[in-house]
Amino acid sequence: MAAAMSFLPNLRNLFFPPASSQAKDRGSKRGASWFWMAVGVLYFVLPLVATFDFSLRARKGVLSFLAYERVFKDPAFWKTFIFSLEMAFFTILVSLLLVVPTAYWIRLRLPKLRVIVEFISMLPFVIPAIVLVFGFIRVFSGAPFFLTNTSFGTNVLLVAGYTVLALPYMFRAVDTGLAAIDVRSLTEAAQSLGAGWGTILFKIIFPNLRVAILSGAFLTLATVIGEFTIASFLVGINAFGPYMSLIGQNKTYESSSLAIISFMLTWAFMGLLQFLNRGQASSSLAGAH
Amino acid sequence: MAFLTLTDISKYFGGVAAVERFNLDVEKGEFVSFLGPSGCGKTTTLRMIAGFELPSSGTILLDSEDVTYKAPNQRNVGMVFQSYALFPNLTVGQNIGFGLQVRKENEAVIKARVDEMLGLIHLEQHQNKYPYQLSGGQQQRVALARALAIQPRVLLLDEPLSALDAKIRVELRLEIRRIQQALGITTVYVTHDQEEALSLSDRVVVMSQGRMEQVGTPFEIYNYPRTQFVAQFVGQLNLLPITGLDLAAETCLLAGQTVQFEHHQSRQLSEAPRLAIRPEEFRLGALEGCNVLSGRVETVMFLGAVVRLRVEVGGLLFSADLFNERNITPPRVGEQIEISFPVHACWLT
Repeated sequence: MAAAMSFLPNLRNLFFPPASSQAKDRGSKRGASWFWMAVGVLYFVLPLVATFDFSLRARKGVLSFLAYERVFKDPAFWKTFIFSLEMAFFTILVSLLLVVPTAYWIRLRLPKLRVIVEFISMLPFVIPAIVLVFGFIRVFSGAPFFLTNTSFGTNVLLVAGYTVLALPYMFRAVDTGLAAIDVRSLTEAAQSLGAGWGTILFKIIFPNLRVAILSGAFLTLATVIGEFTIASFLVGINAFGPYMSLIGQNKTYESSSLAIISFMLTWAFMGLLQFLNRGQASSSLAGAH
Repeated sequence: MAFLTLTDISKYFGGVAAVERFNLDVEKGEFVSFLGPSGCGKTTTLRMIAGFELPSSGTILLDSEDVTYKAPNQRNVGMVFQSYALFPNLTVGQNIGFGLQVRKENEAVIKARVDEMLGLIHLEQHQNKYPYQLSGGQQQRVALARALAIQPRVLLLDEPLSALDAKIRVELRLEIRRIQQALGITTVYVTHDQEEALSLSDRVVVMSQGRMEQVGTPFEIYNYPRTQFVAQFVGQLNLLPITGLDLAAETCLLAGQTVQFEHHQSRQLSEAPRLAIRPEEFRLGALEGCNVLSGRVETVMFLGAVVRLRVEVGGLLFSADLFNERNITPPRVGEQIEISFPVHACWLT
């Protein structure tokens, strides 16, 4: 009994620590948070700093941007980069035209199908790109579709492949955007005012998904720019992904500079997204009563 | 000929009846409310008028035109939603002008109409603001202006005040009625709030479980409810068990005390009839020509304009609302009192 009584204050301290010990706990928790944050930052930043440092050592004994100069002066860099940008543009366009009306219609009329479509949209994470591209080559190399015979045909296949790869990002982004607005009421309000489906989609739904669409588009762009497997089988060295891989195999410093450039590009896109996003979040939420 | 006619409208969702054999004629310029609890079919009926739901059977005539299966964007019907449903990407002015732009009206006409509507809802200063910059009440006024800007044949309002706080709700209620009367627009209003329905409407349709219980003016609905559901749903009602019923003499025993009532032959009685009395029909003291009961005060609630008593009479508990008068002290808990109510104020259900 006495042992139990002496145990009680400890128990009380455990659940209701005295004010001084609470303050101490808060301090140590804050310290631990900062420690783990620092570990996280170092984990992400150190390799980048090391890569950047290495990319500056192309000229012996001095730090210089020589590797960057070489990359930017290489016509193949611009050619492959612009080609991949073009492919990304068409991929985003096709993805949007495919995903936005589908996700919208599912939210509006077929909510039970959402789980199935969500599952389908996740398949690219499970099925390797190599399987997809082999399937493409097998199906579209013979009659009735001779798409692999022309560069236009392979570009079409490339966009189709990228659209599949981008599906999880685009669907997720658009679906989240749709969840933040009252799709049904907005649609019905527009209908009662005389709007048809085209007007509803392009004047109401698309503009209110601006941020979601931009997120999906930038993620798609980032995926397409660095994609290697599908591009190397369909268009080879013409795309930026295989070009980066080739440089990585042959030119040490340039490959590091390319890695930094691609990081900078991604960050620039993210920054642009944040910039375009300003003020939009609050308006989206306010519209989502 | 009525302006809006619903004939034998039914709607089934997977075999479950949401609305059954709904018949209603609405005159031009009339304000009709659908009143009922959640799930009674009032919103479904409104959505069928708007075209968002198709009836399983029946017809809807609007200005002599059969619109039963017409698409919502072909009906020229204005709709105001509980959630406002303003387009977040458009300003107040653009929201109001949206319907006119869809109709490809010229810019001058749109601008004039938008200005007119902004004047009507007293939000001239907010034309260039976005919906998220407005309060709930302001947003709903914009939604109302947007629905009216297209000069709809019928204005439909689906619980437009439910998301607002009490004070704004009362203000906007008056505003809606003022605008409706100023424009003379035929209006159908859905609400579960009896005060809203009674104060706004020319006629009220009380609904329960997909069926119309009663249609009538607010006065008729409140004072002459035809069914027990209407009597209980609209206003407060004491339903007290009785014995010794004598229909010929129009008397019965209530907790052993004789009570006289008025019985209408048209009124159908349930198997175990009960006496219905509204709490506000009671007066303190024994009044001549009235039924008088003796009882004990169980609780006293002071509500400002009204003092609500719970009185126990022979084991029966009922509510009595007395007007608060400064020179009369309300009874105290435990006090024995006599309480009266007129013969015409009670009926059998």
